[in-house]
Amino acid sequence: MGSSITTWENVGAYFTFADNPFALVLFTIGTAAIIVGLIVSIIRHENAAFDKIK
Amino acid sequence: MENSPTLESLQAALDAQQAVFEMHQAMNVEVFYWWCTAIMLMIHAGFLAYEMGASRSKNALAAGIKNILAIALIIPAFYLFGWWIYNAFPTGFVPIEAAAALPWSTSMGPDVQDMGTGIFWAAFALFGATTGSILSGAVIERIRVSAFLILTIFLGGVVWIMAGAWGWHPDGWLLTKFGYHDVGASGVVHAIAGFFTLGVLMNLGARKGKFIDGVPQIISPHSLPMTLIGLMMIIFGFFGFLGGCIIFNGGETGWTTIYGTPTNLSAFAFNTLMGFAGGIIGCYIATRDPFWTMSGGLVGIISVAAGLDIYSPSLAFIIAVCTGLVAVQFAKFLEKRGIDDAVGAVSVHGFTGFVAVVLVGVFAGGTPNAEGMPAISFVGQFVGAVVMGLMGFVPGYGLSFLLKKANSLRVPEACEDIGIDEVELLAKPYPEGSVPAMTAMTTSDVPNKLANSEA
Repeated sequence: MGSSITTWENVGAYFTFADNPFALVLFTIGTAAIIVGLIVSIIRHENAAFDKIK
Repeated sequence: MENSPTLESLQAALDAQQAVFEMHQAMNVEVFYWWCTAIMLMIHAGFLAYEMGASRSKNALAAGIKNILAIALIIPAFYLFGWWIYNAFPTGFVPIEAAAALPWSTSMGPDVQDMGTGIFWAAFALFGATTGSILSGAVIERIRVSAFLILTIFLGGVVWIMAGAWGWHPDGWLLTKFGYHDVGASGVVHAIAGFFTLGVLMNLGARKGKFIDGVPQIISPHSLPMTLIGLMMIIFGFFGFLGGCIIFNGGETGWTTIYGTPTNLSAFAFNTLMGFAGGIIGCYIATRDPFWTMSGGLVGIISVAAGLDIYSPSLAFIIAVCTGLVAVQFAKFLEKRGIDDAVGAVSVHGFTGFVAVVLVGVFAGGTPNAEGMPAISFVGQFVGAVVMGLMGFVPGYGLSFLLKKANSLRVPEACEDIGIDEVELLAKPYPEGSVPAMTAMTTSDVPNKLANSEA
């Protein structure tokens, strides 16, 4: 469903959703959210681990 | 005579051959940087071994996991904003048009017509990951993994590449106004990361027990051999790193520096190896310490990297020996002032990178740059070195200060006593083995001494 091309003739950017800027922005936000989410999860894990040895 | 070639058919055949040649040339460029990037990963394998070995066994896995996660986070961070920063900020803090480098641009993905962007992005992403690894070793055994990752994303995804835009980009203001010359990234990677690290260390504080009544103590590594092997792996990876710093041009141009001046891999080979050898000798003479001797290889390469294309090999060797001797003194100077840099990263990367940039101005002043750019000069190099130092130190100090104020920079004292592996990772590096966590503390004249010693 994400293919941005229908033929290999005169192709430039051919990756999935290359013709859909909205989707590309959405994926970018998703990537950023995963990074932020990972850091937040590590902070929560650390706080829980440190609480156990108080 | 019906089949005789016509002028048109000969031209068509020539055009076809030219197209084949150009395609293969473009593929060769891709192949070269592909393998440079792969070899650069050895830097991270090396840092992994080096930092785990340098830690006490109770913190070995924590040192490793933060190194692994740093690469995993710097790469997407560099995709999200690092590449855009490089293209948008060559003239200072005001961005220029660089929409093609934004992560939602069609230039930032597979494109039949573009055989350059992805491969250069990859090499730069790995340069960024190297800055994170430089920070990583210095802060072992007491930094929170989360704090380290925030700092390393900032360093590897923003700070160094901003300096890279100023000092490496064809329109970078340090180049266009001062003729800045730093072909092997002594300044834009090593000085930046080293001084960023210094800023972090000032807020992070020393490992518990490192200083007793202000006197620095030896905290021995749990595996010095692993540390030495790791350092040698980093040296191997440097050949990918430095290969990634040279420009493989199509057409008749051939190899150039990142500044567009002619050079070749032979020039890089002479001076990389002579610098490597000289640094080892300098640090060995200064310390007789195994860790510092092997670190000297890094000092040596970094000390000549800025002028890798223009030094005479014997001069490169002498520069590396002398910088090795002085870098140890700088590490000792920091240690006496209460800075606990567990692996000497500030000295090996920050101090050496700074000196390397300045020395290009001392020994190669007057060397012409590409047309329209100022020639290399002492003033230009000194300004560049100061900019690199400040560009590293100020953000490193500032962000770590904020983390410290939020009580989010350092693990609790109890965690430091037990070991981060057991508290946070619920894992032991050697569950069936018996590795002494720490020998008795002693003092030494060797800064950041890692060699095992008897009390």
